[in-house]
Amino acid sequence: MLRLVVRRLGEMLVVLLVLTAVVFVLRQLQPADPARVALGGRASTGAVEEYRRELGFDKPLLVQYVTYLGNVVQGDFQASVRTRRPVSEDLAVAIPATLELAAVALLAAVIGGVALGVVGAAKWRGSAVVRGVMIFGASIPVFLLAYGGILIFSRRLGWLPGTGRTSYREFHGPTGLLLVDSLIEGRFDVFLDALRHLILPALTIALLSAVSIGRVLRSSLFTTLHAPYARTARAKGLPERVVIARHGLRNASGPAISMAGLQLGLMFAGIVIVETIFAWPGIGWYMAQSIPTNDFAAIGAVTLILGALYVVINALVDVLQMVADPRIRH
Amino acid sequence: MAATELLTTKVRSEGLGLRRLLRSPGLLDRFALFVLVALILVAIFAPLIAPHDPLIPAGPPLTPPGRAFWFGTDQIGYDIFSRVVFGLRASLVGAFVVILSGIVIGGLIGLTAGAVGGWVDSALMRTTDVFLALPAPLLAIAVVAAIGPGFTHTLLAVAIVWWPWYARIVRGEITALRHRPQTEAAKLSGISRRRIWFRHLLPGSLPAVLVLATLDVGGLILILAGLSFLGLGAPAPAPELGAMSAQGLRFLLSSWWIPIVPAAFVAILAFVANLVGDGIRDLMGSME
Repeated sequence: MLRLVVRRLGEMLVVLLVLTAVVFVLRQLQPADPARVALGGRASTGAVEEYRRELGFDKPLLVQYVTYLGNVVQGDFQASVRTRRPVSEDLAVAIPATLELAAVALLAAVIGGVALGVVGAAKWRGSAVVRGVMIFGASIPVFLLAYGGILIFSRRLGWLPGTGRTSYREFHGPTGLLLVDSLIEGRFDVFLDALRHLILPALTIALLSAVSIGRVLRSSLFTTLHAPYARTARAKGLPERVVIARHGLRNASGPAISMAGLQLGLMFAGIVIVETIFAWPGIGWYMAQSIPTNDFAAIGAVTLILGALYVVINALVDVLQMVADPRIRH
Repeated sequence: MAATELLTTKVRSEGLGLRRLLRSPGLLDRFALFVLVALILVAIFAPLIAPHDPLIPAGPPLTPPGRAFWFGTDQIGYDIFSRVVFGLRASLVGAFVVILSGIVIGGLIGLTAGAVGGWVDSALMRTTDVFLALPAPLLAIAVVAAIGPGFTHTLLAVAIVWWPWYARIVRGEITALRHRPQTEAAKLSGISRRRIWFRHLLPGSLPAVLVLATLDVGGLILILAGLSFLGLGAPAPAPELGAMSAQGLRFLLSSWWIPIVPAAFVAILAFVANLVGDGIRDLMGSME
C-alpha cells in the first residue's frame, strides 16, 4: 500500500520534470531572440551578444535547463516583455483570482455532475432525453456559453454582472481571495458582490466538466445499480433513493472522481477563454493577453503553474482512491 | 476523456438491449447523421455555396441578419454566412487532420509496443503515460504560442498532444490479439513478421480506433475553435469560426449576431458529431 503511494508520487515527480522540460524546449523554439527583445531593435550586436552571455544563453542546453529548473523551483520566471515586470510579481496578483474562480467552478462541476449522473442512470421515462441534453451540453463551445450567460442574465434580466471581479476596487485583504477576505473583515456587501461576479464565469467553466463527470458517473452507476448487491438491497425493501445513495453512488464514484481530476485539464484551458470574455483578472486572462505580444516568459509560466497544479491534483486523486478503494490496490 | 468512455463501453453494452427498447430507435441519431453529412457537403462545396467572397467586404458593416445577408454582416462588412461556410471547412479539415495524425503516430507506437512486447513495450508505454498525464489542451496553447500562430501550427500542436490516446488503445488491442490462437497459427505457419504485424494484428485494432476517432471529432472541433478564439489560428481576415467569434466579442451587446452566429455553428457541428460518435459507439458495443 505505502509502496504504491510512494510509486505514484514518484511518477508525479517524473511528469513534473517532463513538464518543465517541455516548456523549456518550447522556450528554445521561440523565433525571437530574448536578448534582442529585451534590449530593443537599436542595440548593437555586441551588446546583444554580451547580454546573451549574461543570461547564460551561450552555455550548453543541458546546463541552461538545469539553471532554468533552479529558477522555476524558486519561483523566478524572468521578466515579461509586455508588462516589463517580473512574471512572478504579475502572477502573485493574478493567481488568487483564478484560484477562487477555479475552486467555485470545480465545486459546481462536481455537484452538477453527480446530479446529471443520478438523473441519467435512474430508471424513468426521461433518461433518454437526458442523454441528448448531456451530449448537447458537451458540444457547446465555452465562449458561446459565456455569451449566452452575459446576454440573458446580465443584459436582459440584469440579475448578475457580466464583467469584472468586484465593484469594490479599493478593497484589499490578506489572502487576495475576495470571498475569504471579505468574511475576515466582516464586509458582507463585498462578499455578496464577489459572489454575484463569480456565478456566471464559474458556471460557464463548470458546465462542460459537469456533463463529462455526469456521463461517466451515469455509466458506472448503471453497472452498480444492476449488480447483485443492489438487487439484494432492493429485495431487503430499501427504497430506491437509499439504494442509489448508499450502494450505487459509493461504488460508482471511483471513475467519476478520476474523471473530475482529468477534467481539470479542459477546465484550465476553458479558464483562459472565460477570463478573457469576462475580463476576470486571473492568470488565464494574463496568458491570453500575452499571446498577441508573443510574451513566452508569461505564457510558459502560466503553462507551468496550471500544468503542475493539474499533475499534482491528479496524483492526489489517485492516492486518495488507493486509500479509499481496496480494489485498486491489487 | 474519450478513452475513459471507451473503457466503459463493454459495461454499458450489457444494458443496451433494455435501453434499445426503451428509447425510440435512434431518431435523434439519424437526424444527427443527416445534418453532419449536410454540413460536410457544405464544407466541401464551400466556394459554390457561399454567395460572397469571404475575404472581400460584401455590404455595409453591422447589417443585421435579413434577406440580403442571411446571417448579417460584421464590423468590416464581410458576409457572415459566406465566412461561416468557409469556417466549417477549416473546422472539419482541422479535426480530420489531427485525428488522422493521431491514428498514424499513435498507431505506429501502439503497434510496436504491443507486437514487440518486453522492454520496448514498457519504455514506449511509460512515455505515453507521461504524455497522458499532462494537460493536453493547455499544452497545445503553449506549443502554438511558442512556434507562432497559424492554422498548420495549431494542427501540429494539437496533434502533438493528441496521439497518446491512440497509442494506448492500439497497444491494448494488439497485446490481446497477439496471444490469440490465430496469431499463433500464423506464426507457426512461417508467415513473415511484417505480414503478421500489418495483416493480422493491425486490422484487429481498427474497430476500437474508429470508435475513439468518431468520439474525438466533436471534442477536437471545440478545442480547435478555442485555440482559434485565443488568436492562435490563421491570421486576422481568415474565416475561422473561433476567431470570427472572438473578433466580434466587442459587438456582443450591440450587434449580437457577429460573435454568436459563428459560435453557434461550432456548437451545431460539435453536437451532431458527438451524437453520431455516441451512436456508433453504442452500435459497436452491441455487436461485441
